[in-house]
Amino acid sequence: MKHLGLAALLVVGIGLLVSQASAAAPRLTLPEESFDFGIVPQNSKVSHVFWLKSTGDDTLKIVTVSPG
Amino acid sequence: MIFDSKNYNGKVTKRPRITTNEGPPDKYVQIVVDITQRPDSTYPIVIKPYKLDLTQFGEKVRSEIKFTIANVSDKDLEATVVSMPSELMDLTLPKMIKAGKTAEGMVKLTKQGVDSKFEKTITIQLNDDKASRFTIPVKRDIRVPGQDTTKVVPTPVNAGGH
Repeated sequence: MKHLGLAALLVVGIGLLVSQASAAAPRLTLPEESFDFGIVPQNSKVSHVFWLKSTGDDTLKIVTVSPG
Repeated sequence: MIFDSKNYNGKVTKRPRITTNEGPPDKYVQIVVDITQRPDSTYPIVIKPYKLDLTQFGEKVRSEIKFTIANVSDKDLEATVVSMPSELMDLTLPKMIKAGKTAEGMVKLTKQGVDSKFEKTITIQLNDDKASRFTIPVKRDIRVPGQDTTKVVPTPVNAGGH
């Protein structure tokens, strides 16, 4: 009976670990999604910094950034 | 993000896509620009020069440039900074530009700015009814014969001009 209890505890423990491992996921949060430059002269290079925040519980990898 | 306005005219929206290991859906950032051939009196203010060039020729350090903001509207206006690379420069703006008057602003490079080559921008916003925004390009290059000791300030993604 004691062994059965220990086995059950082990199963529950492993289950918890597996569920935690599968829950770990990367997550990208964009504090600012849009920026309006307003009036811009022709033949100018304008620039703005967008911050990318990693808010998940796994490492976030930027795979590609494609121009719009 | 960099956008090259080239010979575009009018309002342009760009939405670069960011793909990560988070999986779908991809995420986007968006920029909106209203490109004009030459800012003129159809806008509430006229900035001169409308592009600031701090290119330095030779050893003599060129670290500041003045510009004027003419208020061509019939209301007093206040301008505030929306975005600027403060690690490279400081910006002085007039507190208020009275209707029909012209005031002076100044860009002064920081130590890092003096030591760098860059093409960046300052975006300001007015307190008019439309909350009009204006973006002023600021460029710095250093041309000293036989020397190339400056840093080029990197910018990560080029989203424009095609």
